[in-house]
Amino acid sequence: MPMKYGDKIIYMEGIIVRITDGAVGIDLKGRLGYLEIPMRMLITDYPIRLGQEVGFNMSFIEQLSDEPNETYVNNQINKKRAAEQIRSAGKGETHA
Amino acid sequence: MAISEEYAKEHAKSPAVLCCRAEKGVVLTCHNLEDPAIFDDLVDSGLLNLDGVLTIEQVIGATLQDTYDSLTPLTPDKIDAIQEVKEEKEEAPKAEPKAAAPAASFSAPVVGGTLKISIGEGKDIHVSMPLVSGGNGGAATATIPSEGGAPVATVNAEPKLLRTLTRHHYKITEVKRGPETKIEGTTLYIREGIEKDAIASQELVYDLKIDIITPAEYHTYSETIMDVQPIACKEKGSELGSGITRVLDGVIMMVTGTDANGVQIGEFGSSEGILDENIMWNRPGAPDKGEIFIKTQVTIKEGTNMERPGPLAAHSATDVITQEIREALKKLDDESLIVDKETFEQYRRPGKKKVVIVKEIMGQGAMHDNLLLPQEPVGVLGARPNVDLGNVPVVVSPLEVLDGCIHALTCIGPASKEMSRHYWREPLVLETLYDPDVDLVGVVLVGSPQINAEKFYVSRRVGMTCEALEVDGAFVTTEGFGNNHIDFASHIEQIGMRGIPVVGLSFCAKQGALVVGNKYMVSMVDNNKSEGGIENEVLANNTLCHEDAVRALCMLKARMFGQEVKAAERKWNPAVKDSNIELISNVTGKPIERVPNETSLPMSQKRKEKYS
Repeated sequence: MPMKYGDKIIYMEGIIVRITDGAVGIDLKGRLGYLEIPMRMLITDYPIRLGQEVGFNMSFIEQLSDEPNETYVNNQINKKRAAEQIRSAGKGETHA
Repeated sequence: MAISEEYAKEHAKSPAVLCCRAEKGVVLTCHNLEDPAIFDDLVDSGLLNLDGVLTIEQVIGATLQDTYDSLTPLTPDKIDAIQEVKEEKEEAPKAEPKAAAPAASFSAPVVGGTLKISIGEGKDIHVSMPLVSGGNGGAATATIPSEGGAPVATVNAEPKLLRTLTRHHYKITEVKRGPETKIEGTTLYIREGIEKDAIASQELVYDLKIDIITPAEYHTYSETIMDVQPIACKEKGSELGSGITRVLDGVIMMVTGTDANGVQIGEFGSSEGILDENIMWNRPGAPDKGEIFIKTQVTIKEGTNMERPGPLAAHSATDVITQEIREALKKLDDESLIVDKETFEQYRRPGKKKVVIVKEIMGQGAMHDNLLLPQEPVGVLGARPNVDLGNVPVVVSPLEVLDGCIHALTCIGPASKEMSRHYWREPLVLETLYDPDVDLVGVVLVGSPQINAEKFYVSRRVGMTCEALEVDGAFVTTEGFGNNHIDFASHIEQIGMRGIPVVGLSFCAKQGALVVGNKYMVSMVDNNKSEGGIENEVLANNTLCHEDAVRALCMLKARMFGQEVKAAERKWNPAVKDSNIELISNVTGKPIERVPNETSLPMSQKRKEKYS
């Protein structure tokens, strides 16, 4: 899919604000958003700790088309429905 | 920046460009020249024009005719005389005429050409033919030294059989629920209520549903597929990797799941969806079209999808069901139910080129983990997570790999993930195991840790392992992309620096382009099959297939016999793979069947948009 502004590369910085076994959450400096990425996409020279700063190059995010993708719309609906079902089924039950 | 003398020699044929201002009358040395590695970018951006430029070996020693600024390409008018290139006649290893092997002539193959060998007269001539291939955008053609004559296989010791593994196949045509788990004829019954036991077995598992998906139900929605597993057990007295394994044909286990908030277990992005739009059928790791799936949909405690115990719990709960089927399979004593027997033999072939396969598996933690060497094929019991083993290299036999010694918890992008079933049918292991020209010493499994220091720790162990094995060649494979490419590159470096030719296999193409490289990464095979060169979320689409294994093996043989593999093009070019495949089939006379890609599937809306 061709992009109009694909070559506008911008240096960005962020702060590690969430660490799980499989992912890190990064607050982008300057109130520019939050990014959660899998561990394997983070290059680490040191043990990962909260508050460490990270740097990366990124570009602007563009829409690829006007039409929402039906598959993804359906997936969202399914996800919501499943979550609701789980919640209502789980009410009053205690998990061992 | 100036280059060193040694570097200049390595790049003698590269363009000569001044690295900094040089005065008139200067006698050029390597210190005046820029590193050729940066030229491509400069040419691309129009800052440098290399038309008519001389090579490094042609300018070193010449006198500059005028004063020039940095980054001036050195053309003949700028120096006094083109330096004569010293013929580096490295005492060509004279063809020791072997007994009665006269007049063997070669014509070197070219891309798409044929290899001709004409032998005028002779007897007992053994010709080992180095084939040639390329990858990762890198075309490869080789020239066979005509002087040295044919590399002659000198030792012809008898192959030594180490062990065998026999698979007894039991056909299943129907899967039903019933009062107990059993196999009757070709029908598999799964006990009603087994879900409760599976849920109770794991504290983190809140719910588990079993769906039996027959081909009629392929067009249904599913949560993201975490794993595809064969259903197999060892016969009494057999250990994993040898003896007899019983396996069910026509049915597989499929693990799927979410956490209690409906968040997919596994990684990121949305790979859930309609099954038949998201599965690349018949890949080594994927289901085959026509098979029945026993699909578990596991719900784990909210928020544990990104923690290590979460995905493991989903796999372990599913294995409660698989284990009960295994027990039923073990009980069968009706020989007539065996529809096929398949025996794998592990030979060592003394005198042949010794080759090792290094498989890098994920080990960053959480769902980036693998259970190694369970008691049952792709089981859980008895296995150790490679993260707990410190991700250090573990040597296994090729038959252990084919017998399910890896239970893959890994949940990286679906298109490049190696499912547990992938190892069960691992094409590179099979291809190398059965190649009579090479001696496969074993398979080294090495985890990919998170932190760079640990990555280098394990890759140095890989280098030492290969040194101790005294191999003549090595494959390094990895799945997915990301920081695992750092250790992938490091493994290749550690093996390469010991003078061992290495061929690397990975999904790269556009999206998975390597983040690092080194001078030993010259022979690469790209596992990409997708049209766009991206992780396209279609299960197992970009995993290692037979066609990649063939190319890699040919390339490694070429390297082991001292052939040159042509450098990769700068940008990903799928045509390279095509020409390499054509080259190989021309030389071997055997056509290589290409696997289909996502374009063969019913077009989902998302792919329509992506590729139209």
